[in-house]
Amino acid sequence: MAKLDKTVARETVYISVWVIILSVFMQAVFLAVGFWSIKVFFGNLLSACAAILNFLLMGITVQNALKKEEKDARQTMRFSQSMRMLMLFAAAGAGVLFFDPIAAVVPLFFPRVAVGFRPFIGKKTDSEAAATEKEQSKE
Amino acid sequence: MELAIGIILGCCALGAGMAMIAGIGPGIGEGNAVASACEAIGRQPESQGNVTTTMLMGCAIAETTGLYALVIAILLIFLAPGRFVNILVETMNNLK
Repeated sequence: MAKLDKTVARETVYISVWVIILSVFMQAVFLAVGFWSIKVFFGNLLSACAAILNFLLMGITVQNALKKEEKDARQTMRFSQSMRMLMLFAAAGAGVLFFDPIAAVVPLFFPRVAVGFRPFIGKKTDSEAAATEKEQSKE
Repeated sequence: MELAIGIILGCCALGAGMAMIAGIGPGIGEGNAVASACEAIGRQPESQGNVTTTMLMGCAIAETTGLYALVIAILLIFLAPGRFVNILVETMNNLK
């Protein structure tokens, strides 16, 4: 198995941290409203894991696709997207059936929220990464 | 009554299938993005890190559209039939 690219690992960690923060916030909201139960917790846990895994698998696919020809890369991404969608369907379906529907569905959108916050938080990280890349290319 | 329940179940399944048509778009979009990124990295190999980061974020955004469709499909398959049948049964009981 190919080694995980540094960029992919860094972005996955960024998304994971945001998913955890937003999950805690969602649990707090459920608690405050008075709808919290163990089903909410497990639904959130299942869906958050699926969302992070989905992003990681997307990153690995992108990493592998970049080494291929254009046509192959396109097909690889399409196939990967279909498979990841099936995985999310299974995870969210199980969450909706056996746990709380809202808690199982909402965390799927947390990576999108994390990407939305990226311009405000990721500026420093991006400039640091660019500087590191520049140094590496000089060497 | 059974016919009405059958129609409700059929319409829910049909709606879920139609909602998943939106899942085709992100796959095509991501494929095009990665193909263009391959081309860009081929031209400027030193920009691989920046291109990968931007593309990952772009792919995550593109995939959200598919996720909306997925959520609608899940709700239509697993939750909606039960609710609609309950509403139908309650309405029929009230009419009696």
